Amino acid sequence: MDSPKKEREGEIWAIGGGKGGTGKTFVTSCMGTYLAQKENRVVLIDVDIGGANLHSFFGINRPGKSLTNFFENGSPLQELTVKTGIDNMQLITGDVDSIASDSIKFSQKLKLFRHIMKLNAQYVLIDLGGGSHNNTLDAFLMADKMIAVLVPEMIAIENMYHFIKNALFRKVRMSLRSYGFREIVEHVWERRKQYGIKNLKELIEWLRRSFSYIGDILDRELADFKIYLILNKVRSPEDIFIGASMKSALLKFLGINIDFVGYIEYDDSVWRSIRNQQPFMLHYSSSRCTEEIEDFTENLVQGREIKLLRA
Amino acid sequence: MPRENYEKYFKILEISPDASLFEIKHAYLRLKKLYSTESPVIAPIAEEFPKKRRREILKEIEEAYSKIIALLENEQESVYDEEPSVSGEIPEEGKPESLSFSGPVLRQIRERLGIQLHEVALDTKIRVEHLENIENERYETLPPEPYLKGHIKTFASFLLLNPTKVAEDYLKRYREWKEEHSSE
Repeated sequence: MDSPKKEREGEIWAIGGGKGGTGKTFVTSCMGTYLAQKENRVVLIDVDIGGANLHSFFGINRPGKSLTNFFENGSPLQELTVKTGIDNMQLITGDVDSIASDSIKFSQKLKLFRHIMKLNAQYVLIDLGGGSHNNTLDAFLMADKMIAVLVPEMIAIENMYHFIKNALFRKVRMSLRSYGFREIVEHVWERRKQYGIKNLKELIEWLRRSFSYIGDILDRELADFKIYLILNKVRSPEDIFIGASMKSALLKFLGINIDFVGYIEYDDSVWRSIRNQQPFMLHYSSSRCTEEIEDFTENLVQGREIKLLRA
Repeated sequence: MPRENYEKYFKILEISPDASLFEIKHAYLRLKKLYSTESPVIAPIAEEFPKKRRREILKEIEEAYSKIIALLENEQESVYDEEPSVSGEIPEEGKPESLSFSGPVLRQIRERLGIQLHEVALDTKIRVEHLENIENERYETLPPEPYLKGHIKTFASFLLLNPTKVAEDYLKRYREWKEEHSSE
C-alpha cells in the first residue's frame, strides 16, 4: 500500500494491540487530551466499528453522524467531526450500525485512509477495536506511529503476539503485492514444511535469501516498521519490566523493533472516571496516572523510549 | 580497550554503552531470567521459539556480560593508577593490591562506575544511610562489627571488588579507631 507519509504535516497514530479491554480507548482519549492541551489540532477517529464508545469517554451522547455517512452517503470526513468538549479536539465516531464491517470494500477502505490523511489536524488518533481483522490491521499499518496497548497478563501477551505477527505478515504480503509479487508469500508459507521454515522470521529470511530483489523491497518497506508499546494496569515494578521483556523477545523472535514508551499504573480513579463518563485527564489532572500518560505521549511525540532505571 | 569496541556486547544486553554497572547487572539478570524460564512473555511463543535458539541467546548474554565486566575491571585498575593516594597511603607502584580500601576509596570507585547510592541500596538491601556512613567513615554510627563486615563484603562484591580484602582493610582502620576511643 502506498504510504505518502512524508508529504503531510500531521501525524497519524493508530492504537491497537489485539486483545479487547486493555484500555486502547482510554489511552486514545487521554493522549488526545494531552496533545490538544498542548495547542495541537487533534482529531480522534473511533474505528471500533460495532463497538464504538470513544464518545462516552468525554461524556457526550452518541453523535448523530458517524463513518456510516462516509460509507453510505459519501459525506466528507471533515463534516463528520463532532466536538469533544475539549478545545482543539474533535471526534469522528465509527458507529456503523447498518453495515457489517466485513462488507466494507477494499476500495472504500482505501478511500477512507486517503481522507484521513487529508484531515486538517496535527494529530489524528485512530482507536482500533480488538482482534486482528484485516481492516484493523490495514488501519494499523497505514499509520505513521503504530501503537500497541498491553496489560501485563499472559492472555493479553499472547493476543499481542498474534496481532503483531498478523500485522507483519500482512505488511510483507501487501508490500510484495504492490511490487507485483501477488501470491509469493502465501505460496511459500503454505509449503513452509518443505522449505524448513518454522516461523514468520524464518519466512522473511527465506524470502530475502532466495530473491535478492525481494530482499531490497523488504529492506525498504520494513525499515520503519516499528511498534510503540504502552503498558496499562501495571501493579508492580516487575510488571513494568514486561515492557522491556516484550521488546527483547519480539526483536529476537520476530526481528521486530519495539519502542517501549511508557506505562500507566493500576488506579481506581481510572474506572471511576470511565464509569462517571468524565474526561480523565481533566478530572484527575494531578493523578500519577495523568503524569504517566503525559510522559509517554511526550515520548511518542519526541520518538524516544522510557528511561527505566535512571532517576 | 575502549568501550566502543564492546558495542556489540552492550547491544546483546540491550543497554547503551554508557550504562552504569547497576544497569548492566540489571539487564543481565533480567535477560537471563527471561530466556531461561517459561516466563509469561516467552510461554506464548515457546513452540515457535525453540529451546535451542533460546540457549544460544543465553550463551550470547553470558559472554556479553563477562566481557563487559572484564572491561569494567580494567577500567577500575586504571582508577588506582591515576589516583593511587586517595586513602592517604602511598601504594607501591600503584598496584591494586597495595591500595587500602577506605571509605573514600569505595566512594570513588562507586562514582567512577556511575552508580548512585540508592541503586546500591536497591540491589544489596543495605540502607542508604548505612552506605553513606560506611563511605564517610562515620564509625560511631556504624552497626556492630559482624553486621558491618557483612555490609562491607556485600558492598564490595557489588563494586566487583574482592570482598575479603576490602573487609580486612576497612575493618583494620575501624578497629584502630575503636581502640583509640575505648581507652578514653
